[in-house]
Amino acid sequence: MSAVWKAARAAVRRRRLQTLVIWLVTLVSTGSMVVALGLVDAASAPFDRVFGKQHGPHVVAEFDAGKVTDAQLRDTARTSGVEAVAGPFPQATVEIPRGAQDLGLGGDIRVVGRSGPGGSVDRVHLWAGRWPTRPGEMVMNRQSDWTANALGKKFHMPSGPTLTIVGFAFDLSDTADVWVAPDQIAALHPNATQMLYRFRDASSQNALRAGLAGVTEGLPRGALAGSRTYLSIKHQVGSAARAYAPYLLAFGVLGILVAVLIVANVVGGAVVSGFRHIGILKALGFSPGQVLSVYLVMISVPAVVGCALGTLTGNLLAHPFFRFVFTGPDSGVLRDSVGIAPRVNALALIGMPLVCVLAALGPSVRARRLSAARAISAGSAPRAGRALGIQRRLAGLRLPRSVSLGAGLPFARPARSALTLAAVVLGVTTVTFASGLATTMTLFGDGGKGAYDVTVYADNYVKGKVVLPVHGDRDLQSLLGSLPGAARVTARADEDAQFVGSTKRVWIEGRRGADLPLDDVLVRGRWMHRPGEVVVGSAFLRRNGVDIGDHLRLRRSGREEEVTVVGEILQDNDQVVTGTWPTFTALLPDGKAFSYHVKLRKGADPTAYARAARAVDKGLSTQLTGPNSGAETIIGSATALTLMLALVSSLGVFNTAVLNTHDRRRDLGMLKSIGMTPRQVTVMTVTSMAVLGAIGSVLGIPLGIAAYEVVVPRMAAGVDLTLPSYMTDVWHAPKLAALALAGLVIAVLGALVPARRAARLTVAEVLHSE
Amino acid sequence: MVTEVRTGDTVVRLDGVRKEYGETVALDGVSLEIRAGEAVAVMGPSGCGKSTLLSMIAGLDRPSAGTVVVHGEKVGELSEKGLALYRRRRIGMIFQFFNLIDDLSALDNVALAAQLTGTAARQARRRALELFEELGIADRRNAYPAVLSGGERQRVAVARALMNRPALLLADEPTGALDSRAGEQVMDLLLDLNQIGQTLIIVTHDEHLAQRCASRLVQLADGRVTGEHTLEPSA
Repeated sequence: MSAVWKAARAAVRRRRLQTLVIWLVTLVSTGSMVVALGLVDAASAPFDRVFGKQHGPHVVAEFDAGKVTDAQLRDTARTSGVEAVAGPFPQATVEIPRGAQDLGLGGDIRVVGRSGPGGSVDRVHLWAGRWPTRPGEMVMNRQSDWTANALGKKFHMPSGPTLTIVGFAFDLSDTADVWVAPDQIAALHPNATQMLYRFRDASSQNALRAGLAGVTEGLPRGALAGSRTYLSIKHQVGSAARAYAPYLLAFGVLGILVAVLIVANVVGGAVVSGFRHIGILKALGFSPGQVLSVYLVMISVPAVVGCALGTLTGNLLAHPFFRFVFTGPDSGVLRDSVGIAPRVNALALIGMPLVCVLAALGPSVRARRLSAARAISAGSAPRAGRALGIQRRLAGLRLPRSVSLGAGLPFARPARSALTLAAVVLGVTTVTFASGLATTMTLFGDGGKGAYDVTVYADNYVKGKVVLPVHGDRDLQSLLGSLPGAARVTARADEDAQFVGSTKRVWIEGRRGADLPLDDVLVRGRWMHRPGEVVVGSAFLRRNGVDIGDHLRLRRSGREEEVTVVGEILQDNDQVVTGTWPTFTALLPDGKAFSYHVKLRKGADPTAYARAARAVDKGLSTQLTGPNSGAETIIGSATALTLMLALVSSLGVFNTAVLNTHDRRRDLGMLKSIGMTPRQVTVMTVTSMAVLGAIGSVLGIPLGIAAYEVVVPRMAAGVDLTLPSYMTDVWHAPKLAALALAGLVIAVLGALVPARRAARLTVAEVLHSE
Repeated sequence: MVTEVRTGDTVVRLDGVRKEYGETVALDGVSLEIRAGEAVAVMGPSGCGKSTLLSMIAGLDRPSAGTVVVHGEKVGELSEKGLALYRRRRIGMIFQFFNLIDDLSALDNVALAAQLTGTAARQARRRALELFEELGIADRRNAYPAVLSGGERQRVAVARALMNRPALLLADEPTGALDSRAGEQVMDLLLDLNQIGQTLIIVTHDEHLAQRCASRLVQLADGRVTGEHTLEPSA
């Protein structure tokens, strides 16, 4: 065994507490960094991964089958800039039977005739059953978490044929709702032809538009009926993950900064406090290079073990959070493909030990240059004359001397105190930011909470069959209102309609009853009262360039009505237009409610009411109002990340207090020898860190508020939401006072154990060893 | 609380004091009495238990067996807080390597001892200044330990030890880290203090110091008292 290794092992054994601190700090820091970086990475990368795997089309183009032939479309593959093509595929828009809605399909679906799932473009993932090979068969476009027990189910299409589900496939590019064999499509009366293009330059919307212009240049005028680029799909799919991205990024950046600072502080401190030992090694005949190696090995061993375990812990912690983040109709398509990227793990495994070694290198090189005699004296005698003015002013204050002495201690080692202070500042910043975020998310989750207790749906599913209510729409509302415990019942209906002047379809929602707002939250304007007045979500306003006061024309089944936008509500759905019941029936005179939202009297049992509602009519199903799991997850994860970062910050303080106690053993012994009680020693040591905690609070709170002001509006904008001011007005005096305590709590928690250790020092032993 | 002590009263009594550090026996059944106004020098070879004996009397450590009674208080039976109060009020300690706080000025180092008892800062500084005048280092009151000479540092340490008017002054090799001139100055100081009635226990290797300052010599070897002699005051 080499002398270096032997000396390093001995140093690790001798400094068990220091080794434990380095190990713990690198473990927790690496763990939080992996979670934060992994989530940031996962929020941006998985679409590209799945899209690349499926060789997805850069542009999905629909052509008017009456204006362009298949041969002309095939020729477009030779257009300059086109990399690969799939199609032409005949496409029909088919009205579906009511039973098919149980499979999550809307009123009209896109059916494409295609001979197989493979090809050079858009390799559809067939995950259950098989591809249709003859008429009467179909494959549905569904994610793999969909249950495949509907295989074999038959649907009689209103337009004629009966189709049996023979398979389920997933297409990220959403080129169809259903695929059938090419022989089948003719019976469904196709009205368009689909072409899927990959272009050599697909870097931007402009490049894609230019590519598409090249393709359509030689085609008859008006042949292109519509198109969609992969960038817009990416935007749509990533919306939920995008909402988390600024929040995760903020935590990620904070986590990395705290981790690096603490590691630098701990490692640097370990080397500095070992100067005396370095001097002894030199006196024994160790060369400067060997001394450097001893210290790098001494630091690297616990750091590498801590980083490895931290990476593992980070991976374990991130997994359940990922499963939640990537859920929902859009982001759910990525759920199976997300995970901690290898590059994140590599960064943690290589980067963090590197940070440790770099942090150790500076002081080690300094120690390497010191003469043996100076190294020995540097280890035992701190330099005098630092911040002496501060000490004197503090001594003159009418404070207990243990407090004023403690308050002056941080100024004796300014560099170490500055690093600790930075860690406390970041800890307080994190706590402040997370507290503001949690308050906003709680208000968001509580938005409209309590508007109703039970939702009663006007259909039921019994033994695989749909059962419809026997009572009429208005009768049901009256019946539900007359049940014991019911206070108010509001009916809700929606149907799709054409937004005149746009290719877009919208859902017109009508409400009838006493509680027209239901669980929606008004951001601007006012609620609808009169026929023809509607409210829409922020996303609708933003994506359609509409504002309050604008008039919209809606068309459905030959009827056309003008409505006026009177309010903006907190809703990320860009297709819903909500009005009063007369507004709805003006377009759909026979429209019926699909759900009834029941507000119960105080003290009424929702479960008993739901049971009574189902007993009224077998065609009714019920759902009790639950919590907002999205908001709860953000609150939960913010709390977990905050606790992790606060723990790391506390460990930084702990480390500084341990090192200071070690450095000041002689002073502490002397103070005890002249009558300082153990309690006064504890007070002095805790005060020394509490000062940093107080300064940390003063600096960290404004930084946390600034981080909130940057991140939260971007989070909302990520999902096209405008938060009402009451949700972002979260900084009130009691909360700020509580946050001011955060720095103190972090500092006191970190200092308490070393302080008590210091208080228990045996005076004779300490002074004798000098 | 200040106990009235008259010259000749027993101030320190050790009965069969034993101290072990693991398997090492530092003190092995030491019994000793010291009266008020005495100046006792404790001598012996390195490792004989001199400093351990001083630690037992100062309440810096507890005996493994036997009793240490100072001013009627059984030191070994005091709680940690009780020990702190005992050290604060009854004992003044002078160390070989001064043990001053580098971050505090000479005056603040001395005033600190009084401030720990709850004395107001201004009052403590006034008392410290008086001592600085008496010890002839008033012009160095605002200097920091790093810039003081060894003799000056030890005078500051003596001033700190006297700050709370202790009944018992304990000095552990007070001239061990000083050159001969500074050592002489400190010896004079200790002698002066004893002559005005200060009870003194000095642990030292230095026979000259013992001869000049002490009225009685206690010799230790291997943790035991091997001899006691009365010393004639030197001229």
